[in-house]
Amino acid sequence: MSAHPHAREDKPPQSVQHGALSVRDLDKSFQIGGRPHKVLDGINLDVRPGEFVSIVGASGCGKSTLLRLIVGLDTDYSGELRLDGERIATTSLDRGIIFQDHRLFPWMTLEQNVELALLNTDTPKDRRAKIVADHIALVNLTGFEKAYPHQLSGGMAQRAAIARALVTEPRLLLLDEPLGALDALTRVHVQNELQRIWMAQRSTMVMVTHDVEEALYLGDRVIVMSPNPGRIRRIVDVDLPHPRDRRSPLLHRLKDEILAELTSGADADAADNLVHLPSREPR
Amino acid sequence: MTGWLTRFPVRVAIGLVAPALLIVLWQWQTSEHIVTFAPPAAVGTALLDLIRSGDLARDTLATLKRAFTGLAIGVPLGVAVGIAMGIWKPIDRLVGPLLHALRQVPMIGWLPLMGLWFGMGATTELAVVGMSSFFPSMLNSHAGVAQVEKRYIEVGGIFRFSVAQRIRYILLPGAMPLVLTGITQALAFAWIATIGTELLTGANAGLGVAMQLAQVQQRLDIMLVIIGVTAALGFTINQLFRQLRQSLLRWQPSV
Ligand SMILES: Nc1ncnc2c1ncn2[C@@H]1O[C@H](COP(=O)(O)OP(=O)(O)O)[C@@H](O)[C@H]1O
Ligand SMILES: [Mg+2]
Repeated sequence: MSAHPHAREDKPPQSVQHGALSVRDLDKSFQIGGRPHKVLDGINLDVRPGEFVSIVGASGCGKSTLLRLIVGLDTDYSGELRLDGERIATTSLDRGIIFQDHRLFPWMTLEQNVELALLNTDTPKDRRAKIVADHIALVNLTGFEKAYPHQLSGGMAQRAAIARALVTEPRLLLLDEPLGALDALTRVHVQNELQRIWMAQRSTMVMVTHDVEEALYLGDRVIVMSPNPGRIRRIVDVDLPHPRDRRSPLLHRLKDEILAELTSGADADAADNLVHLPSREPR
Repeated sequence: MTGWLTRFPVRVAIGLVAPALLIVLWQWQTSEHIVTFAPPAAVGTALLDLIRSGDLARDTLATLKRAFTGLAIGVPLGVAVGIAMGIWKPIDRLVGPLLHALRQVPMIGWLPLMGLWFGMGATTELAVVGMSSFFPSMLNSHAGVAQVEKRYIEVGGIFRFSVAQRIRYILLPGAMPLVLTGITQALAFAWIATIGTELLTGANAGLGVAMQLAQVQQRLDIMLVIIGVTAALGFTINQLFRQLRQSLLRWQPSV
């Protein structure tokens, strides 16, 4: 547990043992127009059990690709991906993912959606209803069990997706811009909820976000990626205990630093990239 | 979509405006003799006679039985083949081109061949009605499975669904809206095909048979009764299925 600098004091340390992710020399290319196009280049990363890691980076730098590789939806890569020492070769109930679009099945109620996640687990049938109800309560959706996804607001649907992802108790939960489609107010609300859930569940979480503030508020570490090809540019430690105060000066200082980092490369090219529209020149 | 215009009795009343106008026009033209036509009163009398004699009930039942026997064969087969083609590409490659070519032949075009094989009887009628409900069921079910979004199939992958689970929990429900559209079309096609074959094969009872008989006997009043009953029944079947479809698809936002 010494590896974890901000152990949450209210929980016995031995409850976090699983969920160590290791990424070694990960390269990933897509064939685009018959030619290989490198999307991820030499990614190395170790995520400790129970850690919350945020990933930020320009759009197109391979964040979603990285998560899809880790969760096992895409298995065509070179390098090594391991969860608790075991090589990742396909999907597994040990690894969950939440997408930006909630991906609840529209033809099932909230309750049925969450319960379906348990289909291939060894959870006894008679305990499933209780577990499902507990997870729906965990994301504050009690009372909406029978609602179809189209009857839920964006924030509620995303919380339902969180419940569905957590119900299998994955050792590692990946989140791909899970709050990206929510309005600012709802987002803050679900961020708080996510933090509370993570503190209670203590599973390892890796979250991609385009919101640097969100990355810092939730993350023990923030991975800053750079594009073309996707590389890890910097890893920022956020040395603050949870739950956090959004007004913390440290968070604000780190935010400025990361934003500077993210835009520095872009600024150099900015002059070249300016598109001149002759017809719009001032006369 | 609230408001008094959408209330059921009001909707029925509005729906009856056009038929009522048609009857007025009909009464008017009967006195002007533009084409040969029976006056509405004569048609009313014919309707009562047909009900009393039991002829109408016999013909209606014969037609309904023909239509639904054909549907009972064509729809399940069409849905099954369409879904199989949607799930397994090799099946699509194997039978897809043949089925797409065959469906270009109008239903009536099969009658001579079927007649040669089975005679102009019940088997031929069943085959033609069955085929006319098979194709729309098959095509829409195939499209229904094909348009299930990959992102949902990936969710199945995340939760380690087997092939059977993927079919049961993702592909079938995801395809359901179009499957039901296919069945709606099949109902309409089967109804048309049933009346059509009855007209052409000379069955011994049925609404189409009654129409033909009325033509031979120059009974315009009977002909109009049968046309009215055919329209009303087809309409009712379609409306009933629409209700069923809506309750099956209540998970959809726009139905
Ligand atoms: N299935 C795919 N086929 C080809 N190129 C892809 C595919 N998926 C992603 N890419 C490319 O990989 C790069 C990274 O994509 P992505 O991982 O979605 O970026 P991010 O999530 O960081 O915005 C992009 O240039 C994108 O065009
Ligand atoms: Mg992305």
